[in-house]
Amino acid sequence: MDEDFADCANKKRMAEVSASAFSSTSAHSAKSLSTSSSVAPCLSGENRPIIEARNVHRYLGEGDTAAHILKGVDISIGRREYVSIVGQSGSGKSTLLYLLGGLDRPTKKTPDGQVIDPASKIYIDGLDTTQMGDAELAMARNEKIGFVFQFHYLLKEFSAAENVALPMLKLGRLRKKDAMDRAVSLLKQFGLESKATRRANRLSGGEQQRVAIARALANEPAVILADEPTGNLDKKNADKVAEIFDSLGSGGQTIVYVTHDRELAARATRQIRMEDGLIASDVTRAGSISAITKAL
Amino acid sequence: MNAFIATRYLLTHMRQTLICIAGVVISVMMFITMLSMMQGFTDKFIIETVESSGHITIHDEPRETRSKILERVVNTPDAVLSLEGNKPRDQVKKIKNPTGLLATILRMPGVVDAAPVVNGDATITYGTKTYPLQIIGCEPRRQTAVTTIGEKIVDGSFDRLKTSANGIVIGRGVALTLGVQLDDSITLTSSTGGVLFAKIVGIFDTGVTPVDYGRGYMMLSSAQTLLDRKNIINEIVIRTDDYNQAELIASRIEAICGYKTEGWKEANANFLKIFAVQTVITYIITGALMIVAAFGVLNILIMAVLERVNDIAILKSFGYSRGDITHIYLFQGFVIAVFGSIAGLISAKLAVEGLRRLPIKMEGLVRAEGLLMSEHLSSYVMACAMVTVIVLIASVYPARRAAKFDPVEVIRGAH
Repeated sequence: MDEDFADCANKKRMAEVSASAFSSTSAHSAKSLSTSSSVAPCLSGENRPIIEARNVHRYLGEGDTAAHILKGVDISIGRREYVSIVGQSGSGKSTLLYLLGGLDRPTKKTPDGQVIDPASKIYIDGLDTTQMGDAELAMARNEKIGFVFQFHYLLKEFSAAENVALPMLKLGRLRKKDAMDRAVSLLKQFGLESKATRRANRLSGGEQQRVAIARALANEPAVILADEPTGNLDKKNADKVAEIFDSLGSGGQTIVYVTHDRELAARATRQIRMEDGLIASDVTRAGSISAITKAL
Repeated sequence: MNAFIATRYLLTHMRQTLICIAGVVISVMMFITMLSMMQGFTDKFIIETVESSGHITIHDEPRETRSKILERVVNTPDAVLSLEGNKPRDQVKKIKNPTGLLATILRMPGVVDAAPVVNGDATITYGTKTYPLQIIGCEPRRQTAVTTIGEKIVDGSFDRLKTSANGIVIGRGVALTLGVQLDDSITLTSSTGGVLFAKIVGIFDTGVTPVDYGRGYMMLSSAQTLLDRKNIINEIVIRTDDYNQAELIASRIEAICGYKTEGWKEANANFLKIFAVQTVITYIITGALMIVAAFGVLNILIMAVLERVNDIAILKSFGYSRGDITHIYLFQGFVIAVFGSIAGLISAKLAVEGLRRLPIKMEGLVRAEGLLMSEHLSSYVMACAMVTVIVLIASVYPARRAAKFDPVEVIRGAH
């Protein structure tokens, strides 16, 4: 599994910033996910989807007021894919994103008590997250997933660099100094080196979102999941973020983002449209990201 | 890592942190100070009473353990027993063969010295003033060996009892009440009608009101004459090398001689019970203060949790588990408890020393020129341990509440 992670597509992109930082990890005991969780029985290694969801149901609320948000979604995200999920409000796209990232869990029983059969299954890099305990799932999020949200969600008591370093410190592969160095390198990549020591709440909205993206990249995640990453930004900053995503996608980073922005959605090589809790269409476009964005 | 986040939260919300710590400091300080005050009073009373009265006293009567005659004959528990015209024998109460008993006692391990005593009630008269007094007839050398009364003389000398005919040493309280001074002559009248003209050869001041206002020491022979108890010894006072062992040694002596033998704890049981109740009340009051401080911590931590739901959500999104979130808030409680305890200990020490120096005259069961403060390491340790446990318990609820937040609900804007 570590080998898979090492082979992760973002290796090339991260080479320059991570080489120095992660080269020292051999000295530390790397905390990895337990392989005791059941593994997706399909493919293995490079060919295995990075995320796979089967018959995913999600109810929100309880009893008579419960809303059936996801109605048995099947989806598979391959390595290096650059995916956008679109759909009207309430179609279940954000709910699906949170479930794919292990931030939420699928519903096991319908509000009237019937067990959903077959049970909803979500695999991250081959590991069945529906069988994981809270701590194991948290570790999976830490190691495999990078989240970016609409409302930046930085810890305002911490500096930009500390915000970026926190996931690395949680993972425990780097010493604090090394994690901070790598955090500054990531910020530098997004033009925020001079803001590294500034408190998060003293950054502009666009800067905060770029810090959030840097934080999402901190542990070289297998996939970045973004929920309306430009939804709270002006046009200029939204374009910057879109360019960052394009750049990461071109570098081989697996990215899945939910958006209402048609222009942003069109940048992805694969577009999934959701309607009423189900996938209505799933279109993969030929051509490179740069070609697509040029055409746009 | 969790400690890093928790510490940052505490440091960036310094005002809230200091309020929490202040609550803990006050409760720790009050706990130690009040306990020190109570303990000081208790220690003074016990030490002075025990040291001036002896560790063990053998009385001239058997302990009432044997059952009554009728109960021995009819041992039916439900029977109603009545004996008419019962009259106890008219016998002189005394300790038989006191010399032999003294020799036996002095050979016992743990016994430092023993003094024979005769005591009884008398009235002291000076001019038109009279005052009731417990007369203790003793041998001055032995009495000063078993008690500290010789060291408590503020005027005259205890040894003058040996050289002055019918000399008496009285307490400071008696002297003040009667208005007598050293070398004044007084009249003593016993309950059996004996009258003795005596001279005041010493005045003692133990600081314990019942002793200073209730006792007078005379030579054994003079007291026997006054009380009409020629050659009678009705008490033996014993000093041990460790007063904490007094009860154990007393029970051994009682087993040998058959006379009721009381250690100082049994002799002062009523006072000790009152002190125990006072101590419990002190614990309750100061414990309540700690609980109030803990509620302050609870309240502020809950506010902190509610203010940081977004932080909790984002921490969870990049890998922090419920356990991690719990640890972050428990650690904050722990830091508040530790810093509060340390500052509380320092404040308590300063308060104790400050109160000790206050010139407040005490005149009650115990007399002193200032507040009696007694420090025990156990009070300091107990205060720290109690406040840490209470504050940690108070931190559990906000910590668990923080851990339970569903990050998705927070991100959706439900909180």
